[in-house]
Amino acid sequence: MTTKILGPTFQYSHSIGRSEFSGPGFRHPVALARGEGDLIYVANRSYEYRPDGKRVTVCTVGEDYIGEFARGAVVAGEGEASAADGSIIWPTSVAVDKDGSVYVTDEWLNRVSIFTRDGEWIGKWGTQGDGDGEINRPSGIAFDKDDVLYMVDSLNSRIQKFTKDGKFLGKWGRAGSGDGEFNMPWGIDVDSAGDVYVADWRNDRIQKFSPDGQFLMKFGTSGSGDGEFNRPTGIAVDKDGTIYVTDWGNERLEVFSPDGSYISEMTGDGTISKWGKEKLDANPEMWQEREIAQGIEREKLFWGAIAVDVDDEGRIFVLESARARIQVYSKQAPVFYGGRL
Amino acid sequence: MAGNDIALMAHLMRRAGFGATYDELEARAAKGYEATVEDLIHPEGQPDLEMDILERYFTDWRDLIALENNQAYWTYRMINTKHPLREKIALFWHGILCTGNSKCEHGKQIQLQLDMFRRHGMGSFPNLLLELSRDPAMVFYLDNCMSHKDAINENYGRELLELFSMGVGMDGNPNYSEDDVKECARAFTGWTITNAIPRYPYARYESQFIYNSYDHDDGEKNFLGESGRWNGEDVIDIIARQPATARFVSRHLYNFFVADEPQVPAWQNTTPNDPDAIKMLEDEYFRSNYDVRSMLRVLFNSDFFKNARFAKVKSPAEVVIGTMRLVKDFTYPKPGVHPIGMEIRYMGQDLMNPPTVEGWHTGKEWIDSGTLVERINFTADQVGNVDLPGVQAIIRRLGSEGATMSPERLVDGCLEMVGAYELSQETRDKLISHAQKGGELRTGTEEFAGSVGQMLQLIVATQEYQFA
Repeated sequence: MTTKILGPTFQYSHSIGRSEFSGPGFRHPVALARGEGDLIYVANRSYEYRPDGKRVTVCTVGEDYIGEFARGAVVAGEGEASAADGSIIWPTSVAVDKDGSVYVTDEWLNRVSIFTRDGEWIGKWGTQGDGDGEINRPSGIAFDKDDVLYMVDSLNSRIQKFTKDGKFLGKWGRAGSGDGEFNMPWGIDVDSAGDVYVADWRNDRIQKFSPDGQFLMKFGTSGSGDGEFNRPTGIAVDKDGTIYVTDWGNERLEVFSPDGSYISEMTGDGTISKWGKEKLDANPEMWQEREIAQGIEREKLFWGAIAVDVDDEGRIFVLESARARIQVYSKQAPVFYGGRL
Repeated sequence: MAGNDIALMAHLMRRAGFGATYDELEARAAKGYEATVEDLIHPEGQPDLEMDILERYFTDWRDLIALENNQAYWTYRMINTKHPLREKIALFWHGILCTGNSKCEHGKQIQLQLDMFRRHGMGSFPNLLLELSRDPAMVFYLDNCMSHKDAINENYGRELLELFSMGVGMDGNPNYSEDDVKECARAFTGWTITNAIPRYPYARYESQFIYNSYDHDDGEKNFLGESGRWNGEDVIDIIARQPATARFVSRHLYNFFVADEPQVPAWQNTTPNDPDAIKMLEDEYFRSNYDVRSMLRVLFNSDFFKNARFAKVKSPAEVVIGTMRLVKDFTYPKPGVHPIGMEIRYMGQDLMNPPTVEGWHTGKEWIDSGTLVERINFTADQVGNVDLPGVQAIIRRLGSEGATMSPERLVDGCLEMVGAYELSQETRDKLISHAQKGGELRTGTEEFAGSVGQMLQLIVATQEYQFA
């Protein structure tokens, strides 16, 4: 009898979030990062006429609200240094370094803002341009285990490496669709071996590189079938090397083995979050409306699955921009069956 | 003076679109007038905006939750569309087949209705009415979801006749009776929408049309003199055959695309400004089996259209979008779209939120002392900004005419560049005398750029520029 390995499989755990311009909740969130302990940082883009909703929300995996920081700037020109320190206009990504400090990229101001774990502003860097170390609409950022920061420099079609205080260390990539080339790349992650994964957004594929930018692997093509993508946005790699990609245009999360082969997909299992229940309890007529609402099963599904993160406990966090929600899954150990190994 | 071909093309593009830059006018004029009309009325198959890129930067455009998100989106769309007539037709029907955010379950629902106008607005008129009757925003706005077999709500039935298809009357006579309104409402019982998912905690989802046969009054109805167990589709077929409907659609097309007519409530007792033109459109309505595209072809190729230059006061949307297309700002995603959209509101046209189901009063009613100042300030700010690509293109183009430029030529050249505008002799003389103050103009200097920007500002402040 042949021994088979099934999995890994994924169990829906719970939902976090509700739609809010301030306090417990998110508004058009675009990025998230797991912090120390049970902390989660969520960057909210909100929209132009509600800059008050632009902020970083801090909460826990158990949906306790911790606070928020980085308020929305009302007016500022492209790459304008005059935007107040610590303010954001078009946030794109958030990452946490080994000290627990929080880095937020802004693709309009072309800058990285740095905050303490408690949200106190402590620095910024970034200059618009296409020279070494200059950036043009930065998207994803990710740290490796030594706090080297990898940044998707989207409109320059390249990846740049920086120290965490913004000193240029290296770069690779150019516009195109060949190996090592990019078309408006978006998300990025670094695995435990230090290799770098990039969601090559408009090429509908994932590319994998060594830490110095040597092309190692690619997978995915345009489409909606297994392993295909319609504009992949976020990417995360867990400690076992399993790869998670938010397939934005197809409204799903796809999961791949370390070699890039397709494992499975999730399309959403959302339930009422703790904050959501509080909101409904404060508006009890909406509990009644939900009773008679038609098509409420749509609420389970991802809408605008835009970013994903994983932690060392095997939990997967899928962020939905349009639903102001994180759906949390947990990875189940692979199942072995058949004869003895 | 610009060539006649350019001037005519500028006229066509102002009406069938939101204006065009001089380069675009030249390219279209080279292609020919009638060929351009065909391009405009057949946008299908031509490339459109790249929504993935827009949603990447304007994250909120995926779910378009509130009025302001939708206004920003539509503003950007009108500025950048490659299908100006399709967008103009959506604006046209939006002002007639009205729904408003003031009574709306979900802001995106009106955007979805506009998408429907984009798809069907140049097709069969009865088909458009059918789509409208199934449109969730409309079903909610005019209470058809509250109209039941045993207790009709006449709201939709009445407005379908009065405001959406026939009008109260024509040639001094009423077009329908109160009984017709009731019978019409009965025919549409059971045409309803799904119960909405409440907006907390994760915000709205789209509603869907459903036909509830259990709540439909299937009995005999006498509608406009025809008897049968009419359902909504039958009523629409009967409406489409009425001469009043041909008149109503023709007059609306004329008022929007050709020249300002009296306001709609007066139509029962006022004859059209140009009865022959309306007759041509009515004939085409029946000849083409109620096809709006065919009516537009006749309209744009007619002499009455070509001779109607500057016979319409620009709507606020035409002012703002026309200006942005001229100066070529916001041609790629960046912050600041929402304030541009708000300008349309400040000038008196709160898009997707008309004052009533009658839409906006048009023509000279767009203008009062407040909105006029708003128009001139906004437009002058834009065209006077010599850093904007469209203004730079005008400066370059005029500068290429020679090392120096006369004051007369500066005035006339700027008039050509903004769309072959014509001024009264008195106004033109004033602009020339202003241009003479700086002495001879040396092109290629910073002063020249400033002079062009200033002249453009003076032009957009004239009475003539308020007309399309």
